[in-house]
Amino acid sequence: MKKDFIILDHVSYSYGGQDVLKDIHLTLEKGGSYALIGRSGSGKTTLLNLIAGFRKPERGSITIEGLILNKPRKETSFLFQELGLFPWQTVSEAVSMPLKLRGSRQEKDPKIHELLRQMGLISHMDKYPQELSGGERQRVALARTLIGEPDLLLMDEPTSALDAMTKEELQTLILEERCSGNATLLFVTHDIEEAMILGQKLLILTEEGTVTTRDNPYYGLEHAKEQLGFYEECIKLRRLLKLDV
Amino acid sequence: MKRLKNVTQGLLTGFISFVVLWELLYLLLHTHTVPSPIETVLYMLQNPGKLLLHCIASFLRVITAISISLVIGVVTGVLLGVNQTCKRLFSPLLYFIYPIPKVAFLPVFMLLFGLGNTSKIILVIWIIVFQIMLSVRDGVEQIAPLYFKVMDSFCVTRMQRYQYLILPAILPQIFSGLRISIGISLASLFFAENYATVYGIGYYILSAWTKMNYVEMFGGILALGFLGIVMFWAIDRLEMICAPWMKLTKNRNK
Repeated sequence: MKKDFIILDHVSYSYGGQDVLKDIHLTLEKGGSYALIGRSGSGKTTLLNLIAGFRKPERGSITIEGLILNKPRKETSFLFQELGLFPWQTVSEAVSMPLKLRGSRQEKDPKIHELLRQMGLISHMDKYPQELSGGERQRVALARTLIGEPDLLLMDEPTSALDAMTKEELQTLILEERCSGNATLLFVTHDIEEAMILGQKLLILTEEGTVTTRDNPYYGLEHAKEQLGFYEECIKLRRLLKLDV
Repeated sequence: MKRLKNVTQGLLTGFISFVVLWELLYLLLHTHTVPSPIETVLYMLQNPGKLLLHCIASFLRVITAISISLVIGVVTGVLLGVNQTCKRLFSPLLYFIYPIPKVAFLPVFMLLFGLGNTSKIILVIWIIVFQIMLSVRDGVEQIAPLYFKVMDSFCVTRMQRYQYLILPAILPQIFSGLRISIGISLASLFFAENYATVYGIGYYILSAWTKMNYVEMFGGILALGFLGIVMFWAIDRLEMICAPWMKLTKNRNK
C-alpha cells in the first residue's frame, strides 16, 4: 500500500463570504498523478494555491509528509498558467535559477544541460523568453519547475495557451518526465482529454465545492486516445461536469 | 551592436542637422554675435586644453552627483515601492517637493556647504534624486504580482528577491531616470557654475559672454552639447551591457 503524501483534512475556503471549497477531505498518494477538473470558477486554482502554500485554509488543515502546511515548501514546484518567466533571464539562466537559489554555485551544472537537451531547448539556451514561441516558453517554464527535482509538482492549466500539436508534444514531455522522476503530480485542467492522458486519478471538483475521486483506466496506456471507450469516458465526464458535450 | 550603430547614426544625423541650421542662422543674421560653426570648431581645436579642463570639471561634478543620486534614489525608491508604510508616510512629502524649482536652493546650499564643489554637487543631487526615486518606486509597483508569486514558490530569502526579481525588473526605470537626469543635471550645473568657481563649462560660457568673445562662448556651448551626447551614448552602452533584454522588449512594443 502506498503512503499517504498529502492529506486535506476538512478544508474550507471562501471568497467574499461565499464558500468556494467546502469541507474537502482528500488524500493523495506519493508518486501519484492527479488531474483536478471542474467547471470554471469551481475553485480548482484556489485548491492548487492552498496545496502550494500560497494561501491558508480558512478551516481545516493540509498536511504534506506529516507536516502541517503553512507556507510554500522548497520541495514543491509550481508551473503557473501564465508561466511567469522573467524577461531578463535567458533560458539557461531561468532553468538554473532554482539551483542557484538553493546555493548551487556551479555555473554550468550538467543537470541543467541534460534537462535542456531532453526538453529540446539546447539551441535556445542563450535566448530570452521574448524570442521564443509559446510552446518553447512553456517548455522552459516546465524545465524550471523540474530542475530542483521536486517531490510535488503542481501545474495550473499547463497547456491551455497552446495549439493542438504543441499541446500533445508537451503532454508527452510531461509523461516522460514523470516516468523518469517520482514526483507527485497534481494539475488543474479544463481539458477533459488532457486530464485522461495525464491523470492517474481524476479529482472532480463539484459545484457544491466538494471533491470526488475517480480512477482513470486509460492512464499510462500507449496511444490512450486511440483506445476503445476513451472518448465515451470523456463525454461521460463532460456530462458529469455539466460541460458542453 | 545594430542598435549601437543606429544610435551613433542618429547622433551623427542630429549633429549634422544642428550644424546646418547653425550655418543658416549665421548666414541669415550675419552678425558677430553668432559666429560660423567652422570658425567655432577651429577655435575649439586651437584651444583644446582649456576647454577640456572645464569640461572635465563639469563632468566630474555631474558624474559624482548622478552616482550619489543613483544610490540614494534606488534605495529609497525601492523602499517606497515595497513598503506600504514608507509609501504612505513619505509620498505626500515627495509630491510636495517634486514640483518645487529646486535651483532656487543654490544660495541655501552655498550658505550651508560653502562655495566650493560640495554645494554645487548637492544642488544637482537635490534636483535629480527625486526623479530617480519616483521612477524606481513606479518600477517596483509595476512588477507583475505573478513574478512575486514565482519567487514565493521557490521559497526565496528577502535578499534573493531583490537580487533575482526587484533589481533586474527596475533596470528600465533606472536607465530612463538616468537619461532624464543627465539633461537636467547639465542644465542645473550650468546655472550653479556661474557662482564662486573658475572651473566648469558653465563658468567658461558665461565668462566668454562677459568678455564678448562669442566664438569662445559658442565653443563652450558646443562642448556642453558634446558632453551631453557622450554621456547619453555611455548610458546607452551601459544599458546594452546591463540589460540586453530591454531591446527585445522595446522592439516588441513597437
